[in-house]
Amino acid sequence: MEKDDRFEMVGAAYRERKTVIRERGFWSWFKGKPIVATAVFVLILLGCVFAEFIINHDPSQFYLSNMNQAPNKEFYFGTDSMGRDIYSIIWHGGRASLLIGFLSTFILTVVGVIYGCVSGSTDSLGDNIMMRGVELIQSIPTLLMILLIISLMATQNVISISFVIGITAWFALARIVRSEVRQIRNSEYVLASRCMGSSFLYRMRKHLIPNFVSAIMFVVISSVATNIGMESTLSFLGLGLPIEVLSWGSMLALADRALLLNTWWVIVIPGAFLVVTLLCVTQIGHYFRQQTNRRPSNI
Amino acid sequence: MKVVCRSPWGRWTAFFLFIASGDFFVNMASIWRKLGRRLILFVFMLFLLSVIVFYVARLTPGDPLQSFFGDAMETMSTEQLDAARERLGLTGPIYLQYGHWIAKVFKGDFGLSLRYKKPVSEVVGPLLGNTLILGTTAYALVFIFSIVLAIVCVRYEDRFIDKLICRLGTTAFYIPAFWLGVVLVLLFSVNLRWLPSSGAYGLGKAGDVIDRVKHLIMPLAVMILSHLWYYGYMIRNKLLDEVRRDYVLLARAKGLGKTEVLIKHCFRNVLPTIVSIMAISIPHVLSGTYVAEAVFNYPGIGLLAVNSAKYHDYNLLMVMVLITGAVVILAGMTAQFVNEIIDPRMKELDEVLIKVSD
Repeated sequence: MEKDDRFEMVGAAYRERKTVIRERGFWSWFKGKPIVATAVFVLILLGCVFAEFIINHDPSQFYLSNMNQAPNKEFYFGTDSMGRDIYSIIWHGGRASLLIGFLSTFILTVVGVIYGCVSGSTDSLGDNIMMRGVELIQSIPTLLMILLIISLMATQNVISISFVIGITAWFALARIVRSEVRQIRNSEYVLASRCMGSSFLYRMRKHLIPNFVSAIMFVVISSVATNIGMESTLSFLGLGLPIEVLSWGSMLALADRALLLNTWWVIVIPGAFLVVTLLCVTQIGHYFRQQTNRRPSNI
Repeated sequence: MKVVCRSPWGRWTAFFLFIASGDFFVNMASIWRKLGRRLILFVFMLFLLSVIVFYVARLTPGDPLQSFFGDAMETMSTEQLDAARERLGLTGPIYLQYGHWIAKVFKGDFGLSLRYKKPVSEVVGPLLGNTLILGTTAYALVFIFSIVLAIVCVRYEDRFIDKLICRLGTTAFYIPAFWLGVVLVLLFSVNLRWLPSSGAYGLGKAGDVIDRVKHLIMPLAVMILSHLWYYGYMIRNKLLDEVRRDYVLLARAKGLGKTEVLIKHCFRNVLPTIVSIMAISIPHVLSGTYVAEAVFNYPGIGLLAVNSAKYHDYNLLMVMVLITGAVVILAGMTAQFVNEIIDPRMKELDEVLIKVSD
């Protein structure tokens, strides 16, 4: 059919439809998946796990004759004001940072999912009370809550700080889980399962969690990034891990001294590692974000 | 029957009739009743919050006397210690302790700061103004910028500029605020020497407005960059849903311009949601002031809170939690109340907000 210039297809939703023939190949599998982010993250992860094989100095050793060295051949990323090799600390400290990220995410997921499931499954009074409780605690800034808890505790270690971060971060997740559970709790299969006398835990494991796991995937993965960031913030403020316990945050706690000495590498290099890790994790999380199918815009 | 009043007094007559008929008072009464219910709920929530905070503080291991006296405690006699316990309200069962404490709070006595050995109100009071300046300015700027960015994004949806803003915004949001602050200091005050690196004002320049503004620039930049896209993205998504409504098509068909429809119609419809988002965002923005103040050594309550945590001064932190909680709960309730009067559909907003924020 010949195209006539006098007749132009118009309309809000008009788009030319084209048949796209899919090329099936090895690379098509990767399409739309966050390959670069995953690759970089895996590299960092492997580097931290096998830190012993790639470091060239003892991370906790003070090389007192080599303080505040700019990056050079011996110290790849330079040394800090205590004479420690930054290159080695980054790989070693990454272990603590990543471990805290994963551990606190595990804690917040367990607490949030259980709380959300219970709240979503009980009657409306119990649900109301539980949700008002969450709202009440959410009215306090997270950081202030963490500060209060930390002021009550002795010196932190990796486990305790994961606990503090995890226990103050599950509220948003619980609310999402609860709203998902409320949508599926009256489905036939859940009712059938209840009629057959299944326990709450069984129902949660077999019917509820598999149905909302895709909805919370994004929140859970990006909270790994948030938690790693929170740990470094706390350590930077001098409230998290002490400087002897190596992590990305406790390295950056030396930033004040680095500012006085104007040694940029102490600040920029560990921070860059931190930021790259956070961005990779977020990117991976975004892949799991549920695609909202939007109609074409009216504007 | 339809009554049409043409005389200039007609409108007033109608108004007085409306009041005299009682409809007006019925409306007012229901508003008062609602307000009363909210007030009771507010007091109850504060009470609950104070109980939780107090119990958490008292039941965790660690001797409060230790943080009050420090190493001096070892040289003190048992009688002295007992007297000190009495003075700090640490004797008796915990619910009695709570009773004493709350009774004092009602008289305006929040107890002693364990670190400064001064009443908490004296410690917090002078710093409040500084934080208020920083917090409210950042709060206002964050929302102004995020609304502007959201409108730009929706206007050019799926174009290059939209994608660019989305990408940059997400990146900025996930960069830790403290690191951003340190890098800014490294760049602008250590190397370029354009801006001061710490404090709220220079030595002896407390009244100098320009000096204060100079000290505010970097903390504000950090706060704005780290909060901007969190809210910008929420507003963008709400607007994207809004431009898919049918009235937009009608307005476009009538010949209104894209930007005009977007700002005059869609944005207005999203406004109540933005008000609610602004109300629930207060704790988040407050968290931001804490980090910004700590990085830039800005003398405000955020820096005070961080230092108090370092010195285990939980008495002060407890009061700060309560004050913050009260402000936030009050703001949330006000926003909800105002919105419900303006637009009764807002009762279901809670669900919407959860979906937006995830």
